[in-house]
Amino acid sequence: MWSELRADFKLYCALRFPDGASVIRRALLLFRSPGLLVLAIQRTHHYFFDRRLRDGWTLETIGLKFLLAFARPLALIIAKSDVAASTEIAGGVYLSDRGHLIIGPRRIGSGTLIHDRVTIGVSAGGEGPPMIGENVWIGPDCVIYGDSRIGNGVAVLPGTVLSISVPDNAVVSGNPGVIVRRDFDNTYLRRNLACNIDRESFASR
Amino acid sequence: MTSFLRASRADLHRYLERKATSAWGKLWAILVNQGLQAVLIYRFGRLLDSKKKVVPVWPFLAIGWIAYAVIAAVIRRGYGISLSLSADIGEGFYIGHFGGIEIVNCRLREHCSVGQQTIVGCAAQIDGPQIGHNVWIGAHAKVFGPVKVGNHATIAPGARVTKDVPSNALIVGDPGRIVSRRYDNSRILP
Repeated sequence: MWSELRADFKLYCALRFPDGASVIRRALLLFRSPGLLVLAIQRTHHYFFDRRLRDGWTLETIGLKFLLAFARPLALIIAKSDVAASTEIAGGVYLSDRGHLIIGPRRIGSGTLIHDRVTIGVSAGGEGPPMIGENVWIGPDCVIYGDSRIGNGVAVLPGTVLSISVPDNAVVSGNPGVIVRRDFDNTYLRRNLACNIDRESFASR
Repeated sequence: MTSFLRASRADLHRYLERKATSAWGKLWAILVNQGLQAVLIYRFGRLLDSKKKVVPVWPFLAIGWIAYAVIAAVIRRGYGISLSLSADIGEGFYIGHFGGIEIVNCRLREHCSVGQQTIVGCAAQIDGPQIGHNVWIGAHAKVFGPVKVGNHATIAPGARVTKDVPSNALIVGDPGRIVSRRYDNSRILP
């Protein structure tokens, strides 16, 4: 859990302070970033469930239960985000600080960037949650639902409603979402928090 | 008053899903469901609004309005659920998650469901959307303008409705188009 949180912190620092920052400013990020708070609490919750299944009710699990009972509603109001405890989140994931995230995929790979107002979850018809690969960029206002697999290095453009599986390095856009490009390097999108997308360049292809 | 109690009970029973009917179970449902808290406060506001012509209860109304204003503001800022009193919502209303929900100047009949980031109605319109009973509105859906949505209709996540929708229809996409005219949504309504 700690190594994963350290990887998250490194990614948050790199994104929030692209030109580097002093130790104090980086330490203050722990208190000023709602996304990091949500990630920390989700990881603690996941760890708590694992421990409770393995050891039952011990002093550690009872203490964690009390901590989470107060910390989760607080994080919910501060960050306006709800991340399911069952989700397996790899180290080095960015969740938006602006919040309004309701996400509960099966797995999120490392290096993934999720912007604000994103919903990821089960389909109302009863299908399971999706799986998000590594180094995925998910823009604001996206909905991803159903038992699908989002490949590595995918870019989901803002406002996409997606219920199909997407291969690696593809770009999806539209409502309902379709694959608009199959070979795309989304590294420049994941470098910073601005989503400066030239939609024309995707439409022409 | 009786309509307030009946509507609140119907809302609560949508969340209980036909189980755990003890008093503790009900209290727990109110504590953990942010949507239910918002709906109950909206019902309280509608009760105060309906009693404003009754002069003997005005001192109680003043206290009630202050309490309503404070709690509604906390819910709007904290959870992002804004249920305006200009909206007429039927009993048994279900809000799945919190965040970005705005329901203004519209008419929803009984047993409707909405998801997160949903916008129903439009403040600028004189006549808002008229929505039938047992309608399921998915997350990120938008229903604008003077449209009529039929009973048992289903609006898929992310859909934008700008035209009238017949009963039992399934609407998908932006702008919304009818995918099926005989879609059964009894399975997905909780």
